[in-house]
Amino acid sequence: MKNSIKVERAKKNWTQEDLAGKIGISRQSVNSIETGRFIPSTVLALKMAKVFNTDVESIFQLEKTD
Amino acid sequence: MEPIKKQSDRKTLLFSILWALVYMGCLLVLKKLEPSKTIGFILSFLPTLTFVPFMYHYIRSINSMDEVERRIQLEATVWGFSLGLLLLMTLGLLDHVVVLKKEDWSFINLIPMFFLFYLIGIIISRRKYIGA
Repeated sequence: MKNSIKVERAKKNWTQEDLAGKIGISRQSVNSIETGRFIPSTVLALKMAKVFNTDVESIFQLEKTD
Repeated sequence: MEPIKKQSDRKTLLFSILWALVYMGCLLVLKKLEPSKTIGFILSFLPTLTFVPFMYHYIRSINSMDEVERRIQLEATVWGFSLGLLLLMTLGLLDHVVVLKKEDWSFINLIPMFFLFYLIGIIISRRKYIGA
């Protein structure tokens, strides 16, 4: 699973800390998700999509190996 | 960190210290003063009273964590439980081969191992998910 959280953050000029505060998780957890170490739940993915004003599929995409 | 989470973590720490202090106090009294059997039984179960609020706040603390932190705690617990089980099973087998000295392998001496296994689990899972 790949994601474009970093790109979406850059568009909004948000730090990981900013995003973490908006979706109610820690900065380390944002980093863990952004770097692909942790796959978030549907609820968290939907929360991210909501704060970025986009849909989940724009942020998270399946890879061929998934 | 949100205030609720911070408060929950602080209470968990506070009650874990209280539990440990009561446990060590009871152990000290049992070892040094050698009380009567009735008092001994009471002292043996006394730490349970401080364990209950500790568990309550620990569970609350887990509930206030985000999903990455919860996964870390889950995997650390799995590591801690599995390694603890492995240790007890290995000692159980060794007990049939050699005579294990009670002063080295008593229950009291095994307790720190369980904390160590949990800490190993925390280190492994934090490295896996947070990279630190």
